[in-house]
Amino acid sequence: MTQSVKADLLIVGMGAAASMAALYALDANPDLNILIVTKALKGKGGCSRMVQGGFNVVLHPMDSHEKHFMDTLKGGQYINKQDLAYTLVTEATATIKEMETRFGCFFDRNPDGTIHQKPFAGQSYDRTVHKGDLTGIEIMSRLTEQVIKRGIPVLEETRAVDLLLDESGKTVTGALLFDMRRGDFLVAEAGATLVATGGGPTQYRFHAPGPEKSVDGLGMLYRAGAVMMDMEMVQFHPTGLIIPGSVVAGALLEEGLRGAGAYLFNGNGERYMLNYAPDVAERATRDVVSRSSYIEMTSGRATPEGGVYIQASHLGPEFVLKNFPGMAERCRQFGYDLARGRVPISPTAHFVMGGAAVDLNGQSSLEKLFVAGEDAGGVHGANRLGGNGICESCVLGRQVGKALSKHLHNGNRALATTRKDQVKETADRLLRPFTRDSGPSPFDLRKRIKEMNWNKVGVVRDGPHLTEALAEIDAIADEASRMRVSGGRNYNMMYTAAVDLLSMIDVSRMVATSALAREETRGAHSRSDFPKQRDDYGLFNSNLRRGSDGKPVIEKTPVAFTRKSLEECQNYRKG
Amino acid sequence: MSATKRNVRVFRYDPAVGGDGGFRDYTLEVENASAMTMLDVLLHIQREQDPTIAFRFACRVAMCGSCGMVINGRERLACKTNVSDLPPSEDITLRPMNHFPVIKDLVVDMDPMFNKFRETLSFFEPKEQLTEPARIAPDAPEREEIRLATDCIACGCCVSSCTMVDHHPDYAGPAALARAYALIADSRDGLFQERLAAALPSCHECRTETNCTEVCPKGISPTRAIKYIQRTALVQLEVTPKEAEVEETEAPPARWEVDRATFIRGAGVAVIGAAVAVTLGSVAAITTVGPTESAAAEEWVSVGRIADLPQGKVTTVLLNYEARSGIYSQTISKPVMISRLSDEIICYKTACPHLGCTVHFENQSDEFRCACHGGTFDRSGSVIAGPPPRALDRYRHKIEGDQLLVLI
Repeated sequence: MTQSVKADLLIVGMGAAASMAALYALDANPDLNILIVTKALKGKGGCSRMVQGGFNVVLHPMDSHEKHFMDTLKGGQYINKQDLAYTLVTEATATIKEMETRFGCFFDRNPDGTIHQKPFAGQSYDRTVHKGDLTGIEIMSRLTEQVIKRGIPVLEETRAVDLLLDESGKTVTGALLFDMRRGDFLVAEAGATLVATGGGPTQYRFHAPGPEKSVDGLGMLYRAGAVMMDMEMVQFHPTGLIIPGSVVAGALLEEGLRGAGAYLFNGNGERYMLNYAPDVAERATRDVVSRSSYIEMTSGRATPEGGVYIQASHLGPEFVLKNFPGMAERCRQFGYDLARGRVPISPTAHFVMGGAAVDLNGQSSLEKLFVAGEDAGGVHGANRLGGNGICESCVLGRQVGKALSKHLHNGNRALATTRKDQVKETADRLLRPFTRDSGPSPFDLRKRIKEMNWNKVGVVRDGPHLTEALAEIDAIADEASRMRVSGGRNYNMMYTAAVDLLSMIDVSRMVATSALAREETRGAHSRSDFPKQRDDYGLFNSNLRRGSDGKPVIEKTPVAFTRKSLEECQNYRKG
Repeated sequence: MSATKRNVRVFRYDPAVGGDGGFRDYTLEVENASAMTMLDVLLHIQREQDPTIAFRFACRVAMCGSCGMVINGRERLACKTNVSDLPPSEDITLRPMNHFPVIKDLVVDMDPMFNKFRETLSFFEPKEQLTEPARIAPDAPEREEIRLATDCIACGCCVSSCTMVDHHPDYAGPAALARAYALIADSRDGLFQERLAAALPSCHECRTETNCTEVCPKGISPTRAIKYIQRTALVQLEVTPKEAEVEETEAPPARWEVDRATFIRGAGVAVIGAAVAVTLGSVAAITTVGPTESAAAEEWVSVGRIADLPQGKVTTVLLNYEARSGIYSQTISKPVMISRLSDEIICYKTACPHLGCTVHFENQSDEFRCACHGGTFDRSGSVIAGPPPRALDRYRHKIEGDQLLVLI
């Protein structure tokens, strides 16, 4: 009964990585039959569009790929996949130029008409290309336009719920899709499948990505059996707005505020960053500031709103309004005066560094399955630099697009046969919430998993809490298997929340498992029971895959220092 | 801060139920009106009172343009509008944007707007193969022109607010024209004459009401863009504009036609069994057709030759026809039950008057039946059992020559 579609290339997601891959694959091979499916409207979902800051890239003769590479390894605390990071920084230059010359992006300029680059944390040279503080809108608007121009078919509000596999379980044959408008399944089979849904760790109380995100790509990759890496590495951005009772809570105040000299205060009015990082105070990196704020908040020194305060007023109201008009407006909408007062903030879940293990072509551990963007892991190591996120999506999306066109050209377009019954089994299981007369509400369970992750798998972790978390995830999963959804199937948002929750459960389990296995503090992963970075212990990647009982099986593999030795990394910009 | 009660009127329409939709009232306790957005209002209602309500959002910080709707009579983004922005004495009234087909409740199909972007060639086409980005000073006049329009998030508020969109089917509307102007002003772009020629006729449809400019959540003025296109054309449009070549060179025309509906029906869709095809066709039609503020006028649609409809039987015919409404037209598939049980021809709607499920005629029992809740109707469509509140709805019909036509 289920409708089916066939394509040479199925692309799941329509952010920067997905769009770039589609454009480059088609331009290299105009015969390709590409199908894009997105959970949102064309180019409107996800995090690429929400990028404020910008795109790190080497353009100036005084800067070098070597510097960008070393900054990226330093930021990632040495556990990056070096070859991937090297491709990122070297290909970024051509990528950003092509985005201007081929797709019409128009980034901000220097007085002499060349592209302007601004400073960002953790960089040895000012290399962040931007368009005001709304860079993502420019990038996604232009890429979407190009997809429309080429007439690449896009199924909007159609989400992939699971990858389809052949009888052996080693080859991906496509994906089972759910058309959210009609409330019906659709089978998409393809010669190659690219997962580029973006991450978006919304499984925490505070999160920066839009609440429509739900780590779907990571969940389906894991369920399909792909090897996932470094899932404990979840970045928390230090300055998310607190707005009690509003879904806007967790939205970012941009990093540039701290860069410009804003202060952070705890509930007692103390500038606590002077205690944690006396030399740089508020200008410390995201991981250090988030951790420090979290410790203040959980040690009885929170503000009445449950967070800390950011203050920029001492820089002068005119300065704040001139340089951060968007941020001032965002605060004003909720009655906060960024230019003249203090604004309550909290660390907020921001980005997943972990993801599917991929090679330089985006090929995952499964045949015919490719991954790009936030769904892929390794390039950022233990922590991502501001400005390297949209860079990853565009650069590696472009690389994978080119690789896919070659791959499909070389006689690999044939469709594999999906395992008999997989579609029916999955569809039947997923539709059960509609058939029950009673059961837990996905809205309630979603709230519960967000609180649980925040308290036990969040900014600062420890062994006992992580162990508790794993048990609690099992309990939530058990309740989720009995969920009830009311109403019809077409455009049912309660059902959307239910399917979102299933992804969140799988990803929460991966994060907690990996976090428990890494007994040290490194980058974004912070353990109060192991507060030191241990280079004699921790130079490994956590490779994880779904075991036969459905639970993650973890295997630690040593970091491959293929381009730079540990010593070179450790000695780079010391102190 | 003490909580206040606000009455919230939300437009509800579910294609599975059919009809024209209508407003439903909810009462909401508002703790802090100045920190509660319309998106929060809807989420509260959904989570505490009515989980079936449908609306759309993504980023929740005015960057994606997914939550445009008409709030107390004016187009706004739900995430950027607070309760305190509306006078406490007024009800809060939320309805879907004008001119777009309604998918459900407050959710509309925005493809008609994206299609207009294509028609006005509103996409970048490089003038020459450059390897280095163009050097353009930040204060160059060209840059100023472009800056104004590139903040657009394609939320559709301007299109919804424009009354002209409803009157001229070929009118590209404010969003596409604002983008067209940014490209016309962009010296890097290679389709200057073609785009000017494609956009100019639409500009003449603008009556300078400036609704678009007033409602734009990003402060863009499409009105200004439209007038600038006209001014540029006066000076620079070549008298015999070149044919747009991009269609042939960049994408085969067939590809341009591909949209959601045609993709589902056409490209590589395997549908198993003819009976299934009919069911899917009707479902697809139902979910894309909804009431808009500018509901399509009724029209006569041919069913086919009367001689092909057997005497003494009820035949279900799937009508396929093109319906136009404001800025979009769509192919609609709608099933009609034609009864020739007596000498009189009667054309029934297949939607059960109870909740809109599909009714079929059973030959054995000589009755119309609805599988959902057991609604049963006699040969003339009158209710004989079950919950339906009234007889089966009928279409008007007429006979022209040997053809039967129904008024849809």
